[in-house]
Amino acid sequence: MARGTLSAALFGAGLLAAGSAGAAEPTQITMWSNWPDEPAKKEWVTARVRAFEAAQKQCTVKLSFIPKADIYTQAKSAVRTGQAPDVFYMEPDQPEFLAGGFLEPIDAYVDLSKLEDWAKPAWTQKGKVYGLPVEAYTVELYYNKDKVKAVGVEVPASAQLTQDGFRDLVRKGVAAGVTPVSQGVGDRPFPGGLLLFESLLRKLGTADYGRLLNGELSFKDPRVAETMTYVKELVDLGAYPKSFATLKLGESHYYFYQNPGALTFPDPSWFTGRAFAPAASGGMPDGFPLGIMQFPAMDGGQCPTCKTLAVAGSFVIYARGKNKDCAGALLASMATVDNGTKWMEQVSLQTGLKSDPSKIKSSHEDYFRELNARNKDVTYFFGTPLLYYRAKCAETYTQVMNNAFPAGLISVKDAAERMDAACLKS
Amino acid sequence: MTPEARVSQEGRPAGLAAAGPGTAAAPRARAPGHLADPRRTSGLVLAVFIAPALLIYAGLTAYPAFRTIFDSFYTIEGLERVPVGLANYRALLADETFWIAVRNTFVWAFVAPLLDVATGLLLALALYAGVPFGRFLRVAWFAPVLLSYVVVAILWMWLYNYDWGVVNVALRGLGLGALTRSWLGDPSTALAALIVTHAWKWAGFNMVVCLAAIHSLPSEVLEASELDNCGWGAKLRHIIVPMLRPTLLNLYVLAFIGKMKVFDLVWIMTGGGPLWATETVSTYVYKRAFNWNTFDLGYPSAIATVWFGVVCAAVILLNRVFRARERLEY
Repeated sequence: MARGTLSAALFGAGLLAAGSAGAAEPTQITMWSNWPDEPAKKEWVTARVRAFEAAQKQCTVKLSFIPKADIYTQAKSAVRTGQAPDVFYMEPDQPEFLAGGFLEPIDAYVDLSKLEDWAKPAWTQKGKVYGLPVEAYTVELYYNKDKVKAVGVEVPASAQLTQDGFRDLVRKGVAAGVTPVSQGVGDRPFPGGLLLFESLLRKLGTADYGRLLNGELSFKDPRVAETMTYVKELVDLGAYPKSFATLKLGESHYYFYQNPGALTFPDPSWFTGRAFAPAASGGMPDGFPLGIMQFPAMDGGQCPTCKTLAVAGSFVIYARGKNKDCAGALLASMATVDNGTKWMEQVSLQTGLKSDPSKIKSSHEDYFRELNARNKDVTYFFGTPLLYYRAKCAETYTQVMNNAFPAGLISVKDAAERMDAACLKS
Repeated sequence: MTPEARVSQEGRPAGLAAAGPGTAAAPRARAPGHLADPRRTSGLVLAVFIAPALLIYAGLTAYPAFRTIFDSFYTIEGLERVPVGLANYRALLADETFWIAVRNTFVWAFVAPLLDVATGLLLALALYAGVPFGRFLRVAWFAPVLLSYVVVAILWMWLYNYDWGVVNVALRGLGLGALTRSWLGDPSTALAALIVTHAWKWAGFNMVVCLAAIHSLPSEVLEASELDNCGWGAKLRHIIVPMLRPTLLNLYVLAFIGKMKVFDLVWIMTGGGPLWATETVSTYVYKRAFNWNTFDLGYPSAIATVWFGVVCAAVILLNRVFRARERLEY
């Protein structure tokens, strides 16, 4: 912290000196942000950038909103040629930028005490922090209270169904002609694995689940096989939409809360980015009976209260950028408790910036209350499978666990063999 | 001065007409002719004209191609380059996904052009035979050629949608509900679904080329066949198609080359899935280069180099096979 404060002071002194020169032109830095189609996040980023520009005269920001996949593709070429933006969006599941030496540590610029302690490890390497963790999330199981009740299932006060209870929910949903789980993998490499891997976390507990994701535990482990067999049973019952393979993330939102409607929707808590948009823009209709339940407790599970927590959208500084002082000052200006609070207010999503919950004023207070209740007394496991999986293992996860297995295309044995072949360390 | 005034009676430019052979003006008279015949232009002039195109070709085609081959002998992590000899090529031989991609691409490249060309020929014959609303249909059938792959992909993803796509809706309407499926989500149908989409996009191009070729067939041959009471089917089988053979073969080879490089449609519609059922060499190269959590361009360069050789070899082979009878031009 002391180092960050000292750097900020030095930067401030530099700005004053530059200001006294009088004739210095402001330095323009470039910034690429994700979220072109998520108004709340876009507004938050824009407001922070404008506030930074207003607070000093030495740095201006050329801000662009670009879809995440395009940022990654363009940045991969740009960082090699020295043409990457000074600040850009990145998630911890793209470790190659850090490994390649293309990211600048932010320790020298940002007061790290303004970041949540649980969020820092996502961007820490060799004792230095490389990213500003703006967006964080937990993996939740959203549900339609009215539809679940209508098919004859009562969610207990603990908000967690048993393994049999969830199977019963799926069976009753199918019988009633309501899709039990709205999910699609048409444009994302991860949603199809949410139900299975959250179930595996609760079955194995954090230690063995970590071993599984690190390739130290086989998918043929009896407990893993048992959980996969359970999920396969749900798949065969008809848990997922028939259009699962081509349904996109945005469409699966619409599928859940508009047309045709589904009982549940496993999704990271960034769910709000789309759901809280106006209904006319594809958001959740007013008065939608949204509930959040825990993923089902597995029979004989080691950790029914476990839950995945992860850092997603972050901002990093390009190590070969020519305006690192301005870039660092921008990130420093974003890393405040006030900005963390504003993020939670505006986006209705967790953040890796420290915040003050007592000051949050949101039109979605009920939602926050329920989200907080579902995250009370839980044991967090940090990171989703794609944070751990790399290269062929990640590709196999995408093709097998995200797509083919939940689509019912392959057996438990086949899926386990493919994952072990790609991920298990010998 | 009128154009006629500038040309002598012998049909030569006026400057040349005035200067007879052996006169002192003869060397001067060579200058216009010298400039008019590019084969006799000086090297400097040629270089000036060729240089821009050559630079663009060298910068945007030749250099990237040679650099790709060069990179294939390295592992490139971040800013470090480590020479690895043939290691990337050896790894390629053992790469199961690469061979799946090769198989899919070969299926696509050898089979799909038959569908493309046959469809284009049928549409051209329909227009040639005077199908009603021919002028409208000509435009309608050609329109998909003008659409971008993104638009075509989204359109066909809707058509193939399990719940409300027109394919499944039609099947249900016909009482064939048992045949409905997730066309792009089923490994047994996904590649075929993509091939049909690709054929739909390019049928119009083949139609236009075939139609032009049909119209350029010698009318006396067709008229002679009619005088001989040759029926439409026989005329098609024994006269039109054989005479169109060079055109059809050219179209086949063109389609073959295009499909060996197919990327856009696959990337948008299936991303190579499900279970690599639609993975092509191009999508695999892209994944290895940009989606593999690594900056290493060595291995994807090795794939690209191998595939460049395969495409060249296949085109030469097709040329040899087809040129036995016809001269191909493309």
